[in-house]
Parts: sequence; C-alpha cells; structure tokens
Amino acid sequence: MSLLRVAALVARRTTAAVLVLAVLSVLIFTVTEVLPGDAVGVIAGADATVSEREQLRRELGLDAHPVRRYADWAAAALRGDLGTGYVGRREVTEVLVDRLPNSLLLTTLAMALAVPLAVAIGLVAGMRAGRRTDRLVSTATLVAVGVPEFLVAALLVAVFAAGLGLLPEVSLVPLGGRPWDQPEILVLPVAALSVAALAAAARLLRASVAEIAAAPYVEAARLRGVTGLRLAVRHVLPNAVAPAVQVTAVMFAGLIGGAVVVETLFNYPGIGYELQQAVANRDVPMVQGLALATCATALVLLLIGDLAQLALSPAVRGRP
Amino acid sequence: MSGVVPAMAVGRVAHSRVTLLLAGATAAGVVLVALAGPLLATGSPTAPVGLPFDAPSGAHPAGTDAVGRDVLSRLLHGGRAVVLLAVGATALASLCGALLGVFAGLIDRRIGELVVRVVDVVAVVPGLLVLLVLAAGFPGSDSAVLVGVALVSLPFSVRVVRAATRQVAVRGFVDTARARGDSRWRIIRHDLVPNIAGTMLAEAGIRFSAAVHLTATAGFLGLGAGPPTPNWGRMVSENASGIGLTIWPVLLPALLLVLFTVSVNLLADDLAARWADR
Repeated sequence: MSLLRVAALVARRTTAAVLVLAVLSVLIFTVTEVLPGDAVGVIAGADATVSEREQLRRELGLDAHPVRRYADWAAAALRGDLGTGYVGRREVTEVLVDRLPNSLLLTTLAMALAVPLAVAIGLVAGMRAGRRTDRLVSTATLVAVGVPEFLVAALLVAVFAAGLGLLPEVSLVPLGGRPWDQPEILVLPVAALSVAALAAAARLLRASVAEIAAAPYVEAARLRGVTGLRLAVRHVLPNAVAPAVQVTAVMFAGLIGGAVVVETLFNYPGIGYELQQAVANRDVPMVQGLALATCATALVLLLIGDLAQLALSPAVRGRP
Repeated sequence: MSGVVPAMAVGRVAHSRVTLLLAGATAAGVVLVALAGPLLATGSPTAPVGLPFDAPSGAHPAGTDAVGRDVLSRLLHGGRAVVLLAVGATALASLCGALLGVFAGLIDRRIGELVVRVVDVVAVVPGLLVLLVLAAGFPGSDSAVLVGVALVSLPFSVRVVRAATRQVAVRGFVDTARARGDSRWRIIRHDLVPNIAGTMLAEAGIRFSAAVHLTATAGFLGLGAGPPTPNWGRMVSENASGIGLTIWPVLLPALLLVLFTVSVNLLADDLAARWADR
C-alpha cells in the first residue's frame, strides 16, 4: 500500500473522529444545559426568590439563546478554556490538568497488569478450546466480567483493608501530593480496575486464538510435529495479535468507565472521581468539561487502536 | 470506528445443565426478593429505628445502616429499582433496536450503514459516562437512568438485528414474497421476524446482563432516585464507611447483586451460544 493511501486513510479516520467528537459535544451540552430547562433552579435551590434567580441567570450567561451559548462554549473549548465550575470556582481545565496524570497512572498500571495476564490466559484457553481448562477459564472470566467493578472493589477492601489491615481503605492524597509518592494506596484500586478488564480481554483473545488455532496452516504445523508453547507463540499468536491490539484499545477506553467507579470508591483524586463529584454537586460546567475531555480521550484511544490494527494486519491493510 | 461493537457470539459457551439450573433458580430467587420484597417487609425502609451500624439483633435481623435504618427492610425494598430499571431499559433498547435494525437491514445498504454510523456515535462513549451526563441534566431521576442504559444498549441491538435481517433478506423466500406482491409489512411479519426472533432474544439476554451491571453501578454512584430511597447498589456506598463496625449492610446487598449478575450472565451466555450454533 502506498504511503499516499496510508496518509489518506489516517486523515479520513481522524476526520471521522473529530466529527464524532463535535456531535458528542452538542449532545453533552444539550443534555446537561438545554433539555433540563431550568439549570438556575437547580443551582439556586427551591427557596431562591425570582429576582435572585434572574440575577444568577444573567451572571451565568444562561439568558442567551441555547445555540449562542453552545457556540460560545465550543469556541472557548477550542481555545482550551472549558469554563469555571460552580463549586469552589475552580477552572475546569486546571482540574483536568491536575487530575489527568493520576487517572492515567491508575489506568496504565491496570493495563500493565491486565494485558500480559490476558494474553497468557487467552492463549492457554484458546489453544485448548472446548477442553476442561477452556471451560474453567471461560466460566471464571464470565463471572469476573459480570460482577460490577464496585463489588469487586468492595470485596478487596473488605478483605485486605478492613479484614487483614494490610492496605489503606481509601487512597487519600495530600494537597499538592501525587499518588506515586505512596505506592501502597495504588494497590487496591489497580487490582479492582484490572479484574474486569483482564477478564474481558482474556475472553476476546481466547475467541481469537481458538479461531486461528483451527486454521489449516496451524493444523499443518501440528502435523509437522510442532506442539505446545512453540505452536502457540510462533504460529498462532502472531495472527491473533492484530485483533488483540484493537481489543486493548477498546479495553483501555472501557477502563475509563471503570475508573469512575474505582476512583469514587477509594476517593482517589482522578478525573472519574471529579466527574462523579460534579454530577453529585450538580456542577454543570465541570460535568460538561470533564465529559468532553473523557470522550476525546476515548476517541483518541479507539483511533490509535484502529490505526494500529491497520498497521499490523496484512489482511486489513489490503482493503481500501 | 469499526470494531467498537464486538460480534454477539464471540467467545460464548454453552453451559452444563446443572449450572444452568442453579443459575436459573438463583436469578428467579433474586427477582422474587426484589419484586415481592416490599410486600414482605414489615418495617419502614426509610425511618431510623436505632443507632447507626448496630449489629444484627432480634428486632433487626440484619442490623442497622449508616443512619440507623433497618437493613432487612431496605434490602427487601431496594431490589425493585435495579431489576425494573434493567428490564425496562432492555425492553426499550430491544424494541428501538429491532425497529431501527430491521429498517436499516431491509432498505438500501448505504442508508442502513448510515443508521449504524449514527447510533455508533453513542457506542464510542463509555457507558457509565452516558449515565453520568444524563444524571447531571436530570438529577434524581430514575427515568434518566433507564433511558441512559437503553441508549448504551441500542448500538449493539441495532447492529445485531441489522446483520440478522440482511442474512435473511438475501435468502430466496423474501424475494419470492416480494414478487408475489406482498406488502413490506407482511414480509416483515411473516418472513422476517420468525427467522430473526431467536437472535433477537439471545441479544436481549446479553443486553439484560449488561443492563443489570449498569443499573447496579448507577445506584452505587448515587444516580437515579435520590436518598432515602433504598437501592442495593447505593446501600454498598452508603454503608462502606462502617465496614469495620458491621459488615452486613454492605455484604447482603453486595451478595444479592453478585448472585444476580453472575446467574444472569451465565444464562445469557448459554442462550447466545445456543443460538449462535444454529
């Protein structure tokens, strides 16, 4: 495939992602600010007088036409200004910049734990598709995928924090501090976050490995006397890797949702925790900004996954 | 944005009869507790009746929670929201998914792809984020949770139904019916739906297990009808701080949710595997 076609393809996928983000920004704005009708009533409370409401409405710029408000918000967002939150008058961009490293640390550690384990489990189960090991793995991963993350996290807290007292129950970080200064607070959140991701990825990899292991060329290798680890790693894995890369990207995007739960449960100062707090406090600008940033992150990850799969898979590369 | 929605049958396995029997009985038991619980409860689920985090006693067999409410009464009242919201969201998503999917599958391929693209915009957003944004706009609303969970499910439903429809549509009998002069509506009812009903059912099963997962998590995060309304998911977060004093207010709702999610997942998995084999 010529370089020009690759460039065109990358450009097309990127444009699509930008368009999707634009549509999502309209949806986020509409759902949080336009559809509810009375954002002021929510902020001011039920006992605010009419004149108080009017003043607040003007202060917050909510008296302008919704389309105008969206245009202002979107234009400011493009300049990197996502507005100021109602609670504590914090700038949304500052919160983002401050919390993003913490969330990235949590999700990256969870991935670093989940991906190698998922590959190993998926490979072992997929190469033995239909046999007892495979059935055991399939059922165990199904259970792990099915149980909501907050229950896994609560179980870990009950056993390792409340029960054995080995690790802290909450992941409090002192003002100005960073989670990596006290690694012990990361153990339980990372463990809780990786369980579901690990199980989901192992299931998809198992399916991919099982399909490839049944291919004629693998059978041919088997007949030549190639078995066990060599067969799995040298013959099956290379072809299972391209789908796996995309799975990894999808999984990373999925971790963003799990991170909201885990960060909330452990009071871990990340984007997810801030988002949950903003929703609980009805802090509309903060919700809008954090939600938009989260969507953008998910889109970038999916785009990277798409392009990486393209680069790795000869079959997909051939398609226009 | 290819590959956002994985194929339905990927990695699904059929389970043994004993497993299925156990899973079925467990799921039915939890649903029974959730739906009939409010009729069985003797005490109020919202009135404080004692000290916070009291150990189980004769009057309060499961003890009291963070504000001294009877845990057993809250347990019996708190399942309805989880089960009914998940059922409602699955029904809504399956209905809309069937309509859109059949429409997108029968008409021109390009318009069909456009429909899938449009609903896929939602699929790139992490499911929980959809719920959080909706809850920010409509605080304390259970309907917002229901609509959110349905929205998260919709892209999967549309894709699966569209794919099934396209598979049926290329077989001869749809063309025969068309040539016979049957109306489009008659073709959908007599030729299409009977052939894709199984796929739709299996898909609804998988969507339901995901919906239970999401509604429980929504409760945990405090989305949907606000306190003091009892909710199994929220009971876990409300009482987590007292886990060192008494474990029951957290353990019991957590146990019910684990039993429910695991059994529903096993049943849905089996349903999907059996239908994928056909």
